[in-house]
Amino acid sequence: MTSILTITNLQKTYAGGFQALKGINLDIEQGEIIALLGPNGAGKTTLISTVCGITTASAGQVRVAGFDIVTDFRAARALIGLVPQEIHLEPFETVQNTVRFSRGLFGKKSDPAKIQDILQQLSLWDKRNSQIRELSGGMKRRVLIAKALAHEPRVLFLDEPTAGVDVELRKDMWDIVAQLKRGGVTIVLTTHYIEEAEAIADRVGVIAKGELLLIENKASLMKRMGKKELSVQIADPIAALPDSLSGYDLELSSDGRALIYRYDTRAKRTGITALLADVAAAGLALADVETRQSSLEDIFVDLVQSEGGTS
Amino acid sequence: MNWTAIKSIYMFEMARFFRTIAQSLISPVLSTSLYFVVFGAAIGSRIDQVEGVSYGAFIVPGLIMLSVITQAISNASFGIYFPKFIGTIYELLSAPVNFLEIVAGYVGAAATKAFIIGVIILVTAFFFVEVQIAHPVAMLAFLVLTCLSFSLLGFIIGIWAGNFEQLQLVPLLIVTPLVFLGGSFYSISMLPPVWQAISLFNPVVYLISGFRWAFFDTADVPIGLSLVAIAGFTALCLVVIGWIFRTGWRIRS
Ligand SMILES: Nc1ncnc2c1ncn2[C@@H]1O[C@H](COP(=O)(O)OP(=O)(O)OP(=O)(O)O)[C@@H](O)[C@H]1O
Ligand SMILES: [Mg+2]
Repeated sequence: MTSILTITNLQKTYAGGFQALKGINLDIEQGEIIALLGPNGAGKTTLISTVCGITTASAGQVRVAGFDIVTDFRAARALIGLVPQEIHLEPFETVQNTVRFSRGLFGKKSDPAKIQDILQQLSLWDKRNSQIRELSGGMKRRVLIAKALAHEPRVLFLDEPTAGVDVELRKDMWDIVAQLKRGGVTIVLTTHYIEEAEAIADRVGVIAKGELLLIENKASLMKRMGKKELSVQIADPIAALPDSLSGYDLELSSDGRALIYRYDTRAKRTGITALLADVAAAGLALADVETRQSSLEDIFVDLVQSEGGTS
Repeated sequence: MNWTAIKSIYMFEMARFFRTIAQSLISPVLSTSLYFVVFGAAIGSRIDQVEGVSYGAFIVPGLIMLSVITQAISNASFGIYFPKFIGTIYELLSAPVNFLEIVAGYVGAAATKAFIIGVIILVTAFFFVEVQIAHPVAMLAFLVLTCLSFSLLGFIIGIWAGNFEQLQLVPLLIVTPLVFLGGSFYSISMLPPVWQAISLFNPVVYLISGFRWAFFDTADVPIGLSLVAIAGFTALCLVVIGWIFRTGWRIRS
């Protein structure tokens, strides 16, 4: 696998002195879909804006397909498409003209067939001669995507593409992303919806307070999420685990009233039956049992609250 | 140079102009006609010839300059302020273009619009008065340079402006007085000596004088000086734009 985007120690301090990015390192492979999660003000948009050239980095380096975004900005930017978080469009222009303009601005020769392809793919072809102000919010967002795709970028940044979009359109958006991925486009998107990251991303990153707290394969995250926690509550507190239970990976709660057992729901044998039998055999009286499944949301909230809360 | 990008910006801006061509042209034509009626016919009938030219004809170069300067500034400042205001500037900043290409596209379009309006006013003038053009090539050159340099100034104003009031402020408070006091409607030689001396600090005097020379072969200041003045002004604007380019002032955070 070759990496298409390499971010090294990227820092951004705004003019007011606020440090929005505190040394981000990220390596993205060609054809990947990366979802960036993070609370409001985490620095997601700042990260994207800095990579795309809208803000200047205070320190660090970004390379797109080997091209530095400062010294080789033409080559680097020609490969990037950006769909901003906010809808910025000229209200009185037609759909087709704005999309054509984007292609030319990025230095590509006009290609009506290509523009038609893109507009059809985004179900905008019927609206090609409409003025932007006559479109619905969801259509406007798709116009932004069409503009970003007009110059056939290899890396596409989607900043909250499904914010304020209804369920159906969100599914459409996911389809579009999947289709682009099949076409070999690398996609970095930000979102506040964990199920969105689960649905379409290959890797999931979590940003909080300008730091990338985690970037992990979705599969291995799912594995972590697939873990379930069984809490066996016992009637009389104990000081230590009985020796007869040492074969299990058990944890005793601090008040001595619960045994915590973690297992994989997808494993063939969870070991629960044997554990419960052994607990009874050890002479412990069961008061209650409780199970809990950890989700990406838990991981996310934990991360953001603990590590992100240090500064 | 990313010529395709420059062309795209230029065509996009010109399309906006042509979409509203009626509005774009009616107001300068109408106001010029009013000037001719008021100054040329009503007042001009009481004024003898100025430097051997009938008053109605004498004000033609000044009127053209007045419109061209105003139009160049407002077109260029609005042209770049608008994307900042509605946020579409994100696309310019993320495109593989440098600042000079952005300037070329926007200033080129603004200057073209101002030029078209200048020519139309000249044509309108022919309906009201008899105008002869002594040095047609010089006249065109002056017109083009004025369109360009004041579009550059407009571009700078558009980058600087943080709101619509500021966008109007410079043209209203500085440019309009300079143009009116720059001899659009009179010859500097008609002023008392003190005011003549003060007028020489007004850069627009040199422009209008040079432009009038191209028409009537008479000038308030030597033509060479006029050329130096407009070249200097253009150079100054370019220096400021170069500085904005290097620092990203008011564009990139
Ligand atoms: N132009 C700016 N000048 C100063 N501070 C800024 C600027 N833009 C953003 N910030 C600050 O930087 C931090 C990160 O903002 P950013 O927009 O990157 O967050 P985000 O993760 O995209 O949030 P959201 O999910 O709300 O879109 C915030 O604290 C914000 O106030
Ligand atoms: Mg954001």
